[in-house]
Amino acid sequence: MDSTNWMDRRFETGARYLARLTSRRSFLTRLGTLLVGAASIPLLPMSRAAAQAADAGFREPDIDGDAGDPMNCNYWRYCSIDGFMSPCCGGSASSCPPGTEMSAVTWIGTCQNPADGNDYLISYNDCCGKSPCGQCFCNNNEDDMPVYVTGRSNNINWCLAHSTTAYHSTVALVLGRADG
Amino acid sequence: MVRIALALLTFAFGLAAAGAGSAASPRFNYILHCQGCHLADGGATPGKIPPLIGTGRFLAVEGGREFLVRVPGVSLSIVPDDELAELINWMLFRFSADDVPADFEPYTAEEVGRYRQEPLVEVETVRVGLIGPYDETPE
Repeated sequence: MDSTNWMDRRFETGARYLARLTSRRSFLTRLGTLLVGAASIPLLPMSRAAAQAADAGFREPDIDGDAGDPMNCNYWRYCSIDGFMSPCCGGSASSCPPGTEMSAVTWIGTCQNPADGNDYLISYNDCCGKSPCGQCFCNNNEDDMPVYVTGRSNNINWCLAHSTTAYHSTVALVLGRADG
Repeated sequence: MVRIALALLTFAFGLAAAGAGSAASPRFNYILHCQGCHLADGGATPGKIPPLIGTGRFLAVEGGREFLVRVPGVSLSIVPDDELAELINWMLFRFSADDVPADFEPYTAEEVGRYRQEPLVEVETVRVGLIGPYDETPE
């Protein structure tokens, strides 16, 4: 019986303590916030194309000495970029800014990494779905071909095959060693 | 190195110097010249870019062997004949191995060089005539 009294005392103390600190209204407010918040998570914008890319298991290979400033037009990966550099627009050299989607269809070239002297295959995917970023325009044209060799030209809006064709900015993904 | 090699290959192609030793692997050529549109898995972009998956089916019909070389992406590419032959053979087994007939003879540089002289314009019409419409949903 002692133990019941002990438990009773503990619960009574706890309940009174809780009652002092909180009100029924605050409980309802928090419960409401939780319910509405949880229900609205699926409504938040997200990049489904990026999600698909992640599903496909794309991951940049580890590169020794990926040196340089991704916000500088001379960054080695940009040897054949033509567009606004994604890191200046809220993204990174390998990810698109929030609110845009990475085009799957793209143009691919090669660049030499000065840190290790190797050539790498670089995929210049465009970020689509918003008006042009307008920051850090960069136009380098190593191995770029005229637009009539469409598949080998960086002058194309590569959002053309995306669900939304508005061009915003460009990333430079390292696909792997060019001699691998 | 590769950039220099590519420049040399382009030059060699300009001279129509077929039969030169292959410098670039089919995998490399695929990524550089095809993957941008046909994606890493050869899947379709519905309504815009046809799939490479299933292309082996063309080999089973009359005219299909020529078709696979005469489509614009292949015939008008800047890949020289010998590497192009190697690349097509590689793609067929990479993306459509189950469809390649058992008696398939690999493409040769000479054969590819011949077919690509006549690039297709009405691709869709010819394709439908060969294997019919296909399901464009990605596999």
